[in-house]
Amino acid sequence: MSYTLRGRLESRLAAALLPFLASSALALGLGAWWPVELAGAMIGTGLAFDVGLYHRLLPYQPAWAAIPLGLLELTATMALVRLFDIAAPLEPALWFFVLSWALAQVLGHAGWPLVRLTYAEDGGELGRGGVGLLTLAPTSLLLVLGTAWATQPPTVHLAAGVHQGPIVITSSQILDGEPGTIVEGGIVVRSDDVTVRDLAVIGGEYGIEVDRADGVLLENVSISDAKLDGIHARRASVTIRDCRIDSLGNRWAQGIDISFSNDKHPSRVTGCTVVGGLEGIVTHFTMAKIDRNHVSRTTLRAISMTEMSMGEISGNEVWDALGVGIFCNDMSMCEIEDNVVVATRPDRASGDAARRGYGVLSSFHAEVELGDNELATNPIPVGAVADAHVVDK
Amino acid sequence: MGRRHSELTGVAIVGGGLAGFVAYQTLRHAGVAAAEIAVFDPDPDPVGAWRPRAEAIRQVRMRSESDGHCYPTSFPGLAPREAVRRGELMPLVKTACNRYRPSVAEFLRHVDELRVRSGWDESVVLARVDGVTAVAGGFELDLAGGTAATGKRLVRHVLLATGHPGHALPAELEADPRVVHAYEPHRYAQRIAVVGAGMAAATEWLNALAAGATVVSVRRREPARRPLNLPRTLFSKRGLARFHSTSADARGELLGELSAPSYPPGHEWDDPLERAAAEGRFRIAESVDGEDQIICATGFRRGYAHDPLIRRLVDEHGLETHHRWLILAPDSTVDRLTDATRTLAVAGVHGQWAYPASDTLAGMKYAARRFRRRVEACRTR
Repeated sequence: MSYTLRGRLESRLAAALLPFLASSALALGLGAWWPVELAGAMIGTGLAFDVGLYHRLLPYQPAWAAIPLGLLELTATMALVRLFDIAAPLEPALWFFVLSWALAQVLGHAGWPLVRLTYAEDGGELGRGGVGLLTLAPTSLLLVLGTAWATQPPTVHLAAGVHQGPIVITSSQILDGEPGTIVEGGIVVRSDDVTVRDLAVIGGEYGIEVDRADGVLLENVSISDAKLDGIHARRASVTIRDCRIDSLGNRWAQGIDISFSNDKHPSRVTGCTVVGGLEGIVTHFTMAKIDRNHVSRTTLRAISMTEMSMGEISGNEVWDALGVGIFCNDMSMCEIEDNVVVATRPDRASGDAARRGYGVLSSFHAEVELGDNELATNPIPVGAVADAHVVDK
Repeated sequence: MGRRHSELTGVAIVGGGLAGFVAYQTLRHAGVAAAEIAVFDPDPDPVGAWRPRAEAIRQVRMRSESDGHCYPTSFPGLAPREAVRRGELMPLVKTACNRYRPSVAEFLRHVDELRVRSGWDESVVLARVDGVTAVAGGFELDLAGGTAATGKRLVRHVLLATGHPGHALPAELEADPRVVHAYEPHRYAQRIAVVGAGMAAATEWLNALAAGATVVSVRRREPARRPLNLPRTLFSKRGLARFHSTSADARGELLGELSAPSYPPGHEWDDPLERAAAEGRFRIAESVDGEDQIICATGFRRGYAHDPLIRRLVDEHGLETHHRWLILAPDSTVDRLTDATRTLAVAGVHGQWAYPASDTLAGMKYAARRFRRRVEACRTR
């Protein structure tokens, strides 16, 4: 078929109508935005390809091309899902895409030609209905954005200055600090969909504790002088972005500890600077991505994935760690690449052979998939002990 | 078969070949009753002209690589129906890859089935239309030479689907007793010259070689090798919008270029010719020589002037033409004679000014669907 640009857009929007409504209903049912975000990514990808690619490159589109183009759109949609951290579970997301694609094919090849005889001759245009769709689409977009805006959790602004904690958050909200906002005694998050941003936390047993909460975002937070962990997450799905954690001087502290969350949506730690403490960033039994962080001067390990954790450790800079730089342990599966690990020091005082200054260490049945990493001035760049494996990527 | 229409008829289709048949199916699908439509043709068989031509060139598969059929909706076409009937996926796979070509027998069966189902024979008036004259609110048809009806008929909406105006023969060969047109029934002699280089000529090369003949291909230029005669975009709005916006000269030039002979690429064409050439049984020449038989695969006469009905219409109403083409609006109507109360539209080969592939089933549907739109919009139908 030779689509006109208008025909492509109208056909696309018409086929997307039902999936969009389904995703809206699903979002209402689940009380989550990801179905609508997923539908938005799928429709947006399709429209962008229609305008930027297909119309120019495919003056005639044979029916079989629907399959490679569908795969291309699926790849791009999933890339968007990943890029924007859309919390869509993989399998339902794939099913949603596949069913939407199949619906579009059925409509394009059978449905529209049956109800509109000149559909093919008109290059996929849908006449007055199509014009209505072109009007309805931005209206729907505004409606969704309006609904999203209206249902946003409330924002609690903390003024500059010192606020006495602990602050315990038990409902969805955005806790937003001004420049110079300090919370003394820690913050406890016990609700889903909480954002804490732009503030500093001093002291507390944990700087920020996230307990049994999903969809938590900690952004641009500074934490110091916590008695135990800077950020302590249990049974939680959390994204920690651009944080600074100072555990220097506290021999028992850890920078970030995310644990026992393997059945949750993967967590992510990105863009953080962690200094000091026993472990800089550690996960236990958790799926996580740890990327673009700076971790230094730790006394046990800089970055650890352990106890059957799974995830990616990439683009981090680790230096001056005692004993081990990056550690994958206890049946965990770790993809480690593009990291810089330098100047790891051997922990001779421990007498532990597994702490002789490893840049990357795989231990106890763990599996490391090792990409390109810069592992300079470490006594032992890479090692595997206790039936663990390291394979090159 | 046919019946006399003494009452005022709402819609007339002049010509009961495939173009008229497709238009009829399209109107019936829109809910226009069989009694409201009169199809004028001395032959009630919608494939009465097409079938002998296909038989003459021993055509066994439809030429179109796509799912060409006469159903008013493009889905389900012959491929999905065959897939369901046989319980096989292959017809669907082939049509998705533009490789589905139903057999001629299958196509004819489909036409027969539609003919019965749609009430075609109820609407056929066994008469030839010699003249179409515009009158207030409609047209007067001058019926003559038919077997069952003569006189005048008044109708509001007329679709001219008169078909190809006869076979074309090179002037220098017209009187040659060895000549037979490819679309006329014929057998194959031992030494044959095939004049032409299009699809029919290519088919005849292979037919004659298969019959054991020695073949000389007489051609003025090398044929183009392309799956369809026209670029695919010209089958839909994307290419048509540009086509319709060109000047008359440019449009005429393009139509001339598009009518250059061509046949599809592929081993099924090339291999037999290469083998025959190696055996000395196939060669190319610029003119006929002493062959026993000359098959003119030179297609049809081109242009409205060869069609007596359309030529008379043009002359009597001063309709616009450009070289050999009748000028039509993009919806395949004659602008000067079409308004809110009446329609004069053209389908089939004479509709090229609106749709370059007007002599294909796709082109026939293009004209038919727009004619249907006009008829539906007319409250006084």
